[in-house]
Amino acid sequence: MSALEAVSTHPEARENLTGEAYRDVMYRWLRANLPASFRSDSVAFAPPTLAQSVAWEAAMYRAGLTGITWPQVYGGHGRSLREHLIANQEIGRLAMPESVNSIGKELAGPIILAVGTEEQKRRFLPAILEMRNIWCQGFSEPEAGSDLAGLRTRATRNGDGWRINGQKIWTSGAYRAQRCLVLARTGPLEDRHRGLAMFAVPLDAKGVRVRTIKSIDGRESFCEVFFDEVEVAQADAIGAPDEGWAAAIRVLEIERATNRMYRAWRFENELRHLISACKADAVLSAMVADRHYAVRLGEVAVEIEVLKAHVETAVEALASGDKIGARGSLAKLYWSESHQRFAALALELLSQASLPQNPAIKVARQRFEAIYLQARAETIYAGTTEIQLGIIADRILQLSRGK
Amino acid sequence: MSMAEALQPDEFAATAARAVTACAGLDIREQAQNLAGDGLLGVIADEGVGGLALPLGFAVPVIAAAHSGLLAFPLLETVLVGRLLQSSLTRLAAAIVSGETLATIAWQGEVLAEREGGQLLLSGSLGRAPCAGQVDHILARTNDGAAVLIPANAGGVVVEEAAGLDLTVPEHVVRLEKVELPVGSILPAGTWDLLNSDANVLRAAAILGSAEACLSLAQEHASTRRQFGHALSYNQAIRHALARQKLGLESIRHAITRSLSKDGGPVQRDAAFLAAATYGSSIGEGALQIHGGMGFTWDVPVHRHLRRIRTLQAQGDASGLINSFGHRYVSEVAPFAEAGA
Repeated sequence: MSALEAVSTHPEARENLTGEAYRDVMYRWLRANLPASFRSDSVAFAPPTLAQSVAWEAAMYRAGLTGITWPQVYGGHGRSLREHLIANQEIGRLAMPESVNSIGKELAGPIILAVGTEEQKRRFLPAILEMRNIWCQGFSEPEAGSDLAGLRTRATRNGDGWRINGQKIWTSGAYRAQRCLVLARTGPLEDRHRGLAMFAVPLDAKGVRVRTIKSIDGRESFCEVFFDEVEVAQADAIGAPDEGWAAAIRVLEIERATNRMYRAWRFENELRHLISACKADAVLSAMVADRHYAVRLGEVAVEIEVLKAHVETAVEALASGDKIGARGSLAKLYWSESHQRFAALALELLSQASLPQNPAIKVARQRFEAIYLQARAETIYAGTTEIQLGIIADRILQLSRGK
Repeated sequence: MSMAEALQPDEFAATAARAVTACAGLDIREQAQNLAGDGLLGVIADEGVGGLALPLGFAVPVIAAAHSGLLAFPLLETVLVGRLLQSSLTRLAAAIVSGETLATIAWQGEVLAEREGGQLLLSGSLGRAPCAGQVDHILARTNDGAAVLIPANAGGVVVEEAAGLDLTVPEHVVRLEKVELPVGSILPAGTWDLLNSDANVLRAAAILGSAEACLSLAQEHASTRRQFGHALSYNQAIRHALARQKLGLESIRHAITRSLSKDGGPVQRDAAFLAAATYGSSIGEGALQIHGGMGFTWDVPVHRHLRRIRTLQAQGDASGLINSFGHRYVSEVAPFAEAGA
């Protein structure tokens, strides 16, 4: 019997597993089932199509690797955050593609769990995990990037429902999504953070138009989304008009500390891949053995250890019932800047490879050139570096703004 | 329930802070008595030598509080030597834990130990030995990776003040000129590496304490000093600089916690010290900068902490360690071969 069969056909058996036994099952399933063509550290790598990604993520869900902490009644696996960490460590250790539905699993889902109605939880949550519904996030606007209090997209009452008008931008993956978590204003602009409501807008609704934006890595992943007299049912309003945003902020604080929890272990996978590629090249193998690059690679390895420490501390704090609050900004700031430094070092090393280029270097260059470019966005999305520094100054250090 | 199960490491922080305050103005032997009275010298030593037999994690808040309070005593070294000697030189360990006998460690240099009959003949130059001019025993590394305990008053032991940054726990250099000792003064092979691994965690804790004090001073200054009609902390450049210092501080704290967790091993211990060395210096220097001209004055204590942080960085040989850390990491990765990483 393969590991896949052992896991996926007997869900009740793995419910009793904990700790290292649980890790072992996750480890074996991933290695048995992740196609080589999905692995960006393989010469067989070919980026998966959307349909392949959807199928893969649905299989991961069935194997117990997503929806780990969500309640079983909504399709989740009802496990602890510590087990979520274990599964994510194993996910990080492999060079697998990023989720095409991370907004659904790590933003919309947790917000719906926190403030959604019972009907919404039953309708939306299993569909996210089963990959029947891909979500995108409609927060940023042309006039409201980091400062969401200035957003102008308006939701007005329309009989029993709502009518939405406005424009969103930097909406990753909107072209492939079925639902957009839209933040819209129900009161006057002067109300700032008050009067902000959230809606689960179906992207096939009349009046929704999506336009892709080409990014520096050549991809057309993020989008502008236009809402022109879009009618939204009350059943798709998430939380009360004046309560939704505050609840979302609480969820976002936790998410900032815990989302893509595999990052440190993925960065370690990247570092090991970089070194293994360098060691397959005559010039680079000598360079990484030299003090200069050994020290710089050592510095990356130390930063990865520190990032693991940030993640594990956050998990222990949450698992012990502590509030994470603004401390999620510390981890976000740390990983995003650290990853940029690492990506720049990888590029610097690989650009010195000998000719003709061997297959190992070709694979590594393809991976790290993409990582380098994508990492430039990491200090911008989910709250820019400057926003994170501001949060730390305001809410953790509580520095005076006194006149 | 054992004592370790009944207590939490953080409970020691307040005790340590009070003890450090009580040591102000006392000479080194009086400080030893005070610290021993509070159980701090034997926090990790066995109960048989008068210690509390607690895990290393309990020494972390003690060392951090000592450094935050600028304790003028080689506490890190005393705590480690007391535990190290508890099996082989029990009476001496008990004397160290009780504060009757003082000990330190020479973190730099090696001793050449030659057997001559039933005696050892020691020679060599040692450095980075905190308070060596005031203690009774000096522990040093031998050229074969073991450690040797040298009485400071033995014939041929020359202790001199050293040039060094640390004003609080000043370093000394030690010259050994054919020092004769009993063979039993040599501790087992491998002792030094184990000692140094624990020392890396405690050095990180020491830097954490000093860095925390620096950030606290900088934060207070930024909140009370007014320029251009505002508190300094009104300016985004100052707010962001302090936020970065806070990130560094929490990174040190979390790295120490991880190094002491069930998954913590030599890699995590080295990483904790290396992170502390990097972020600690940056926090100290950043705090000094935020104080402006005040920071460059003798009276503002930021420089005392910065001096200690830089000294701890050197005592742990951070530049040598990051080199070996990187080399070890690189050597453990196999060259690329298909079938993935």
